[in-house]
Amino acid sequence: MSQTAPSNRPESEETAGLHDRIRARLDRVTDPELDESILELGYIDAIELDEWTATLRFTLPTAWCSPAFAWMMAVDARDELESLPEIDEARIELRDHMHEREINEGVNGRLPFADAFPDADGEVRSVRATLDDKARLSRQYLAVERLLAAGLSPEQIVALTPADLRFDPDVDPRMDGARASIALGDGAFSVSVPARPLDRYLRKARDVGHATSDDDPLFLTPEGEPIEVEAFELVRRRGRLARTNVTGQGGVCDALNEQRRAKLDRDGPVIVEAD
Amino acid sequence: MYQHQGEDVFVIDGHIHMWDASEENIKHRGGEQFIQCFYDYHTAFTPEERQRGIDDYRKFTPEEVKRDLFTNYVDMGVYQPTHLHEFYTEGFNTVDDLGGTLFKEHPDRFVLNGRWDPRDGEAGMKELERQKEEYDIKGAKVYTAEWKGDSKGWRLDSDEAFEFLQKCADLGVKNIHPHKGPTIRPLNKDAFDVADVDLAASSFPELNFIVEHVGLPRLDDFCWIATQEPNVYGGIAVAAPMALSRPKKFSEIMCELLYWLGEDQLTFGSDYGIWDPDWVIEAVMETELSAEQHAEYGVEFGLEAKKKLMGENIAELYDIDIEERKKAFQTDAISEEFGLGESYGAAAPADD
Repeated sequence: MSQTAPSNRPESEETAGLHDRIRARLDRVTDPELDESILELGYIDAIELDEWTATLRFTLPTAWCSPAFAWMMAVDARDELESLPEIDEARIELRDHMHEREINEGVNGRLPFADAFPDADGEVRSVRATLDDKARLSRQYLAVERLLAAGLSPEQIVALTPADLRFDPDVDPRMDGARASIALGDGAFSVSVPARPLDRYLRKARDVGHATSDDDPLFLTPEGEPIEVEAFELVRRRGRLARTNVTGQGGVCDALNEQRRAKLDRDGPVIVEAD
Repeated sequence: MYQHQGEDVFVIDGHIHMWDASEENIKHRGGEQFIQCFYDYHTAFTPEERQRGIDDYRKFTPEEVKRDLFTNYVDMGVYQPTHLHEFYTEGFNTVDDLGGTLFKEHPDRFVLNGRWDPRDGEAGMKELERQKEEYDIKGAKVYTAEWKGDSKGWRLDSDEAFEFLQKCADLGVKNIHPHKGPTIRPLNKDAFDVADVDLAASSFPELNFIVEHVGLPRLDDFCWIATQEPNVYGGIAVAAPMALSRPKKFSEIMCELLYWLGEDQLTFGSDYGIWDPDWVIEAVMETELSAEQHAEYGVEFGLEAKKKLMGENIAELYDIDIEERKKAFQTDAISEEFGLGESYGAAAPADD
């Protein structure tokens, strides 16, 4: 997938900024089973920008990927794009899927899932909750690895609370180079770390109801309990396992995706300006 | 027999099929979706020059199976039936398909597994008895996502399943292979949840549970259960083909399995005919862990571990004496047909 954004007119600083911010928003839209962004996974065919609207076209690794997952990705992408001040309306076009019609009509018509799929067994929410909790553990592993690499000790890591974590309010933490700081020693000093892994973790932790108040523990065991320092290594290894699970399954989907995109001849510039 | 660094490696392919998804046999659109889904997996992982056309892929004959396995490094195959009678008139890959053909002709070359479904009730019990009596089965494949009437799946920890597990224990059908793997259209994903293995395995310590496809995409749940239950094993079919095109992911999965389960609890499967065994076996045998992986996981994946994975572990589960088999294979009909006797240590034919 092309990382640059070709367009018909010279790229002004403003549009370049918008393209980066679009990417930063879409970094939050994940395949719920693989916990990786749809941008990173190479599912997006094109995003067409036209005045105040954006149209996002995407293709999944198979025509039979879970319609519930496809739905979640489509809704999340629509909402993330519309959170940008430059985009009033985002339209979604899922292509070459067994249920593309139900999904596109439902998401663009802003229907609830149950209306678009009256036959669904209604288990979407619990499946999502299970996957979110696994994603939380896998993201915790990556965040904690960053903190260990920055020199924090297990004792310091298990004692952290959300209040110790500070993001720069003027920069999207998903942008390249964004940093966060970790306050240590009761705020006596701080350590600077990349913001993205911590933002990814915190967002998912909050999705499942953890780390919501300032004095909650920041990191938790798979069962959602505070981590005793003696158990730090076991929790770390279980997080690593959760991570290997999503990346391993990612390998299966990636192979399917690569083959399918080659067959459909579907790779080009991601963001294009229509005019 | 496969050779690695000058040493013999006896390969028991722990997961093989012989299916019929020909158009004449399909009775429900799920049958067409199912084989198309398999075919997507086939083409996504198979090197281009080894890919089959869809028509060739729909049906495998006994002659093809024999050649595809035994001329491609496999010494023995464990047949895992998948009936799917809701989708296919004569079933997809039934116990009797192999039982009435290759298994009858070459019983030393195959382990023929049975199959049961708790929703079949009393008739299912009788069928299990028949499979034992007719084929002396020592294991059974169970497919918790199989459709039956309005039901889209069942659980291994249900009361009905426990009755069948008890029957297996009584009959000496001691190896249970639940399929717990990636989504297969049109089956329901949740029916592959691994959690039901936990209670079944702790309730039946006399049985072994070989979780096929190591639970992917639930490797984490699977490993956590397996560390707590000594009678739970992992079959690496579906993970294995990643060894070729996604070697880093494959070796990470192996590291986790070796770390949580250990090298004695793992079995190999190519999943033939989803994939052909030759390139899968080569890729797994060529896998080397990186220095970082050794340091991070503290596990080894050397020749000893690979030999266990490729055959020794499953031989133990099915009481197969590998040395005895090698001797028999020097002169058996398969070796005669494909000229394999020498690889099992038979004297070379005299040159004149």
